[in-house]
Amino acid sequence: MSARRIAVTGVASFLGARVLRSLAEAQGPDAVVAIDVASPPAALGVRHRPLDLTEPASDQRLLELLRAEEVETLVHAAFFTSPRRDVDHAHELESIGTLNLLAAAAAAGVRRVVMRSFTAVYGARAQNPNFLTEDHPLQPNPALRWVRDKLEAEQHAAAFARRYPDLTVTVLRFAPLLGPGVHTFYTRILDRRVVPLLMGYDPLVQLLHPDDALGAFLAAIAAGAGGAFNVVPSRPIPLLTALHLAAKVPVAVPHPLAYAGAEVLWAAGLGAAPAGFVDYARYLFVADGERARQRLGFSARHSSRDALEAYLRYRHPRASWHAAEAPS
Amino acid sequence: MSGSAKVVPLSRAQPRRVEARAEGRARDERARADGLLVALARLAERGGAGITWEGLARAWSALYFAWHSEDVDEFGYDPKFTGTVMPLLEFLYAMWWRVEASGVESLPASGPALLVANHSGVLPWDGLMINLAVRHEHPARRQCRLLALDMFALLPFLAPLLAQMGAVRANPENGERLLGKGELVGVFPEGVKGVGKPFAQRYRLARFGRGGFVRLALRTGAPIVPCAVVGAEEVHPKVASADWLGRAVGLPYLPITPTFPWLGPLGFVPLPTKWSIDFADPLPMAEYGPGAADDPILVNRLSEDVRSTVQRMVDSRLARRRSVWFG
Repeated sequence: MSARRIAVTGVASFLGARVLRSLAEAQGPDAVVAIDVASPPAALGVRHRPLDLTEPASDQRLLELLRAEEVETLVHAAFFTSPRRDVDHAHELESIGTLNLLAAAAAAGVRRVVMRSFTAVYGARAQNPNFLTEDHPLQPNPALRWVRDKLEAEQHAAAFARRYPDLTVTVLRFAPLLGPGVHTFYTRILDRRVVPLLMGYDPLVQLLHPDDALGAFLAAIAAGAGGAFNVVPSRPIPLLTALHLAAKVPVAVPHPLAYAGAEVLWAAGLGAAPAGFVDYARYLFVADGERARQRLGFSARHSSRDALEAYLRYRHPRASWHAAEAPS
Repeated sequence: MSGSAKVVPLSRAQPRRVEARAEGRARDERARADGLLVALARLAERGGAGITWEGLARAWSALYFAWHSEDVDEFGYDPKFTGTVMPLLEFLYAMWWRVEASGVESLPASGPALLVANHSGVLPWDGLMINLAVRHEHPARRQCRLLALDMFALLPFLAPLLAQMGAVRANPENGERLLGKGELVGVFPEGVKGVGKPFAQRYRLARFGRGGFVRLALRTGAPIVPCAVVGAEEVHPKVASADWLGRAVGLPYLPITPTFPWLGPLGFVPLPTKWSIDFADPLPMAEYGPGAADDPILVNRLSEDVRSTVQRMVDSRLARRRSVWFG
């Protein structure tokens, strides 16, 4: 049994699956263990330990499991990229699940926890500086349950890092992912021919290529530095420019109407996201990747435009990217 | 037999769709090479049959990128859009306000520098004209990145335009980032007090904030270049202010001028005064060292020095000025 074993949670998620695969390929299947309700692809040959983080005694079970597997590094990627209608389950998994996971990791003597987070936790606000650094206070819209759970997970992580100096907690705040294989609520919006946007607003947005996201995870696992790090593309892109590059028909909506419309559509089961997400199309939440470059040795190789074009090539393989045809 | 009869049209249809895609791609590439007018003419030629969601999206995209760049810098500066609106700004600069710039050559040809100017005129015309003076009259054709007040940088519709023209929201982080990259940065330390001052107080400089611009220069070692704009105070003479109405629409004040809001959109047309923009010699800041930014007494003194320099430059221009309209 290897003493430097890495455990990965959320292996059914897009990013978790990619992290698991590249760790298994780089360090051998025996050095990695998958912890999830769903089992990883059998071809990887990775040991699967079924565990539901939302169960009441999951911390106790995880503690035994981490001890048995002699886990040194725990990669926590069990987070929802898209808003869930079952907000209570999402809360149990993301906020309470992270709390249980951290408690088990600290008790089992796990050296490091590398956790996924989102640049959305800063909150999209008019007063945001153009480049948010990791020290900027996290002030997301409290009405948005999706982001509140992520914020709580981060707060648990910060509290555990303070309480257990031997436990290194690395939090990676990823910019929104876009690229081959990504399916989230905003790719569902982007796949339509007509895309709404807010009248009079054109914020810069960051779109992270999945290869860069994976690279950041691996760099963070290798580097061993604790704290929060922004993982962002090399350059942001204005929202309207992105939509025109994707050959969409943008329809400008006055923002009071957009909030009301998004809420009604979400309540009716038709919308892709609740009203709180309208903020993210209205205000800046661009983060600065300088700290990750200095302490993790990670800098993105793709710009937001590269990520967008990679996604469009993936979605419409035969059309040229700017003449993307309507999805069937 | 019937099975094979079905296969034939299918196998024929497949390459046709691929061809249609290839044709669409070629058409699109042609449209990019030909430019906007030819693309629009083609669309008109095809008439009603040419109107599809896809065609609309493509035409819209071509229209957008005819006057916007596909790539902007990290603050959203769009050189192509700036080039598109430049003729209008040049008209304002050369014909409408007949701007007389002096001392531009004292600006450093490269490296960071902080331009500090008086603010006036209700709308940020003065910033745009300083930018043009630097662009057109400085031998290095430098671009001045203006730090815009929140009231402009966060205003719907205006905010994206300012960002595309190279303005950046005024805060210490943005200023430090730009100066760190060796850019020429323009600031108006008077802030809202300056741009929205009543007509009766014209050319009397308001307090220079809390000296944030001095701390910025001290931390980055960028020299400060005092700059005085004369003529901008009279373009929208603010004779009264409807603060209660301004607050309702999210502005710190709503100006009442002889033309606004009485004449509707015509109220936005600035009056054709005669302008002058004077640049003084750069004041070196590097000699104080970055630690000096934490010395509030020094910061206040330097801030007051710069303010009085700008006030003196404004006063000497005003003393020589015989007419608001002809200089």
